Amino acid sequence: MTGSAACATVWGWPVADDDPTRDAWDLLPAYALDAVDDLERRSVERLLESDPAARRALDEYRDVVAAFAVEAEPPAHVRDAVMTRVAGTQQEGSRAASRVDVPGAPSTPAGRSRHRWGLVAAAAAAVVAVAVPTTIAVQEHREVVRLEAQADRVAQMLADPDARLVTAPVEGGGEATALVSGDDVLVSAEGMPAPGEGHDWQLWIVADGTPLPAGLMPAASGGVSRALVEGGAGHVVAVTLEPAGGSARPTTDPVVAIES
Amino acid sequence: MTSSPLRSAPPSTASRPRVRQTVRVPPPQTARGAVDAALSACAGGDPATFGPVYDALAPVAHGTALGVLRDPDHAAEVTQEVMVEVWQTAARFDPARASARTWVATLARRRAVDRVRAEQARRDRDQRDVDASVVAGAPRDVVVEDVERRLEGAAVRRCLDSLTATQREAVVEAYYGGRTYREVAERLGAALPTVKSRIRDGLGRLRDCLGVARG
Repeated sequence: MTGSAACATVWGWPVADDDPTRDAWDLLPAYALDAVDDLERRSVERLLESDPAARRALDEYRDVVAAFAVEAEPPAHVRDAVMTRVAGTQQEGSRAASRVDVPGAPSTPAGRSRHRWGLVAAAAAAVVAVAVPTTIAVQEHREVVRLEAQADRVAQMLADPDARLVTAPVEGGGEATALVSGDDVLVSAEGMPAPGEGHDWQLWIVADGTPLPAGLMPAASGGVSRALVEGGAGHVVAVTLEPAGGSARPTTDPVVAIES
Repeated sequence: MTSSPLRSAPPSTASRPRVRQTVRVPPPQTARGAVDAALSACAGGDPATFGPVYDALAPVAHGTALGVLRDPDHAAEVTQEVMVEVWQTAARFDPARASARTWVATLARRRAVDRVRAEQARRDRDQRDVDASVVAGAPRDVVVEDVERRLEGAAVRRCLDSLTATQREAVVEAYYGGRTYREVAERLGAALPTVKSRIRDGLGRLRDCLGVARG
């Protein structure tokens, strides 16, 4: 019911000694339990993208894992907090540039850099606007002005003769380049794998050993994903795999970290 | 960067899991279809439609988070993050692939496990120079009596008896400990492929016992 060894070449990944799809199949139950590490998770997700039988098997295992859950009423204040955030949060796939509002603003007490989120997320959306201006359907004038300011900044950076370029390989595939100009860093990732279902690639500025959330990498366009990290120059800029919408603190090891 | 190599485990000799056809049992709640429909409908973008969805599904998210995290405050935070994610990503919910309950439990477990591991990593960093041996693993011990208590009322409980003792141990360690199968293998002093097989066979038996089948 599954792909044969022929599948080993589908992804263009180096295949050392055995059929990676078989390994990934073996890992499906552990994946359903979240009992795999990040690299295994990605190898399973590559299998899931290509094999509907694997998706069906996973769906069954997930039903099993969900059967462990004993429902428990959360405290009432959680409902109020969720409904407040829902009222002010754009849904994914809605018409406005959803990235501007989406990144799950940190709800933990540790969300100390809350104010950065809107700014950085807007920057990420702006970079998309530079790359494919005609496909962005931004209705609000205010939003447009803000995005144009970001686009100007990116154009400036690209034209800056003093800008520096730093390149590093991405663990798991692809290459990341940081264009450092003034205080800002324009991060481009080429050939990175998709983050997978329920995940996003998230950027971090690591200042004095503390990672601060710096927005999500937008979906790749033509194999390249770009994001503007304002204030990132002089720090380490890192990328991690996080649950969709992002996290307040990194929950996985970085796939790339660039000293800008 | 401490990630382990992609395929350091010796290749498993076991065959890959088969999707067996079983008799589908009726869903435990007659409201299930209604909740699925309500979740799909709230993808339309009207926040007012989310209230009933929250009320039906937040207990699943909270119960799932509690199972992994135990701490009620941490669990409440995860519940909040998950339910906002449910709203944001409602368009991704596919009733052909999962019930709303399973979908939310999956999201909640992912976030809860991520949090356990981040906490663990932080603790490891803090303790690295003190005495790692003293604290290693201690806060995440899975106690059998505790598990029995937490399983009260879980649909899976009656089916756990169909597992061998070693299968049950591996699945329970992975589920309640939020551990990777690698960590489970280390704790149990068993070989990686062995633990991988126990988890796979254990979940397979539970699947058959629960009557979970999707064409």
